[in-house]
Amino acid sequence: MKPTKTSIVSNLILGAAAALMLGACGDKDGAEDGDNTGGSGTNDPGVGTQGGVELTTDLPKEVIEGSPKPKGIKNLAPETKKFPKFLVPEGTVNLAKGKKVTASDDYPILGEPELITDGEKETGEGYFLELIEGTQWVQIDLEKSNPIYAIVMWHFHGQKRAYHDIIVQASDDPDFKEGVTTLFNNDYDNSSKLGKGNNQPYVESRFGQLVNGKGTKARYVRLYSNGNSANEMNHYIEVEVFGKPE
Amino acid sequence: MNRRDFLAKGSTVAGAGLVLAAPSILKAADGNNDKINVALIGMGKQGRVLFEAMSNIPGLHFQAVCDIWDYNLKGGAGKVRAIQGEMPNTYTDIEDLLEKEKGLDVAVVATPDFWHAPHTVACLKAGLNVYCEKMMSNTLDGARSIVRAAEESGKLCQIGHQRRSNPRYRFTLDHLINNNKVCGTIVNINGQWNRALKSSQDISYNKRLTIDQDRLTKYGFKDMHQFMNWRFYRDLSGGPISDLGAHQIDVFGWFLNCQPKSVYASGGNDYFKTREHFDNVMAIFEYDAPQGPVRAFYQVLTTTSAGGGFYESFMGTDGTVNISEMASSSAMYRESTAPEWDDLVRRGYMRKKPAPPKPAASDGVASYESAAPEEYTIPGVLNKPPHQPHLENFFASVRGEAKLNCDAKHAFESEAPIFWVNPSALKKEPIVFTPEQLQV
Repeated sequence: MKPTKTSIVSNLILGAAAALMLGACGDKDGAEDGDNTGGSGTNDPGVGTQGGVELTTDLPKEVIEGSPKPKGIKNLAPETKKFPKFLVPEGTVNLAKGKKVTASDDYPILGEPELITDGEKETGEGYFLELIEGTQWVQIDLEKSNPIYAIVMWHFHGQKRAYHDIIVQASDDPDFKEGVTTLFNNDYDNSSKLGKGNNQPYVESRFGQLVNGKGTKARYVRLYSNGNSANEMNHYIEVEVFGKPE
Repeated sequence: MNRRDFLAKGSTVAGAGLVLAAPSILKAADGNNDKINVALIGMGKQGRVLFEAMSNIPGLHFQAVCDIWDYNLKGGAGKVRAIQGEMPNTYTDIEDLLEKEKGLDVAVVATPDFWHAPHTVACLKAGLNVYCEKMMSNTLDGARSIVRAAEESGKLCQIGHQRRSNPRYRFTLDHLINNNKVCGTIVNINGQWNRALKSSQDISYNKRLTIDQDRLTKYGFKDMHQFMNWRFYRDLSGGPISDLGAHQIDVFGWFLNCQPKSVYASGGNDYFKTREHFDNVMAIFEYDAPQGPVRAFYQVLTTTSAGGGFYESFMGTDGTVNISEMASSSAMYRESTAPEWDDLVRRGYMRKKPAPPKPAASDGVASYESAAPEEYTIPGVLNKPPHQPHLENFFASVRGEAKLNCDAKHAFESEAPIFWVNPSALKKEPIVFTPEQLQV
């Protein structure tokens, strides 16, 4: 169970005569930052394609609200300090730019799915899509099946928060029932029932999270999440899918 | 409330405060005492923060949402739908809302500061109980108008100084400072809110969502940047000393149970040179508290976190209490000559932290170093959104089950001195308060 709003509303008395009514720790295991009992993998995408060119992308400026940091997240990855050096074949482009996006929630709370592929990565008002609580997904239709070498995703980087159960999949099946390749999964306790993953939870930053596409040939990319350490909602600012048109 | 009562009841009651007398009791319009019909006035960032906290409180029905920005309006309605299963009624104009909506019990006002008083007064006059974010207004007269409207309407009006309902603060004041005198005599106070540069940038927005200029003008904004960043403008807000400092200066007066007698402040636009408000302010308040004179320093910085964050420190002859909404910034230190606190530790009022390791032996250079003070902590961690206990207190009061922890009159007494910080800094002169400056 990840720490969410619903898991922290109960309270208890700490200390027989503490006389202070305060809350229980939100995580059922009481795990603190740095606890290594979660997923054992890392989020390092590796070096990419040998002999390729370095992947570059425009990064948004850093704007952080407040100073809270995620608590009770197991196996939290070290904070990202720079965009990783990752090689892709020459001629690789962002296949997702301007492409159609659908979502599991037909009535987004804030924003429209198209914001995810509009090229705007800022964290201000009106730049992000907010979906209802629970495990939700967004899906990008790349229109053609092409090899995918990297995916870079920004959920909401205006606050130091970690999103739960981030799962990134690619497939030629729009329903993601057949031929599904999972490229990233940090659902360490399988709470979203899509399989347990070994990637690490991480704190959002302006550098996004780069996922190795491994040359997977696919037309559709689907990204799941299940709330975050600040609230129960799901957010996406931008997703880039780097591939080489065939 | 005695300690046994405090122990016996849940945190909702603790949040509700030391409450015995029932105030004016409100019944929901449909006669169901458990259901409170709420209008959300302003669904920007703070409105969403309050809504998140309210979504944990049972018995609320979010009937209507009002915001002049369609983006906020749609988002607010979407959030209501997400937890309530149905869309609320939506409005761009509050007068339209108050005219058309029937059966409302409560309005929660989280609009920009310069709209707090007009909106709160309108809601009170419409017969609603109001939770209004602090500051009450960007002007002293605006704040006065809320107090008068609350008194004339007989309705409840809670102002959003949420620390007044925070169990950690209430416990510290009632049981540690007042009942057990851990500070001895408080002689000085220090408080700060230091915010990093990266958290003080202009708020950006997607240009595709720009509000029509006629609508912006109607509601007092010259352009979209001002709408998004109204806290930078003198006609619309009180600036950082109001946005951030008011929370903590409120605690100074609350804990001392008095208003200050003077303020002397300094501030400047040292980094954000084009902003109307100071980007850093330092103020000294002097109090003639019931227990004796107290001098308090407060600073709000928006270009450096200085490794410090936000807290208030009550320094006394027997000990010092550092308190904050952040548990990690809360601690107590006993003066070496003060009575032992071992009995308080045994009774669970506090925990003693292990003594830090002794420094390594001197390398031979003569030095003088005081022993590290004994450090104590308050047990437990508040694990609710920080605004939730204050909202719980408000809704419990609406139900007649509690008394407001920060009604308009007490909030005014707390906020009045804060209105004089910027004038003191602008004039570079101390201000010795007259009754007219601090009273309704």
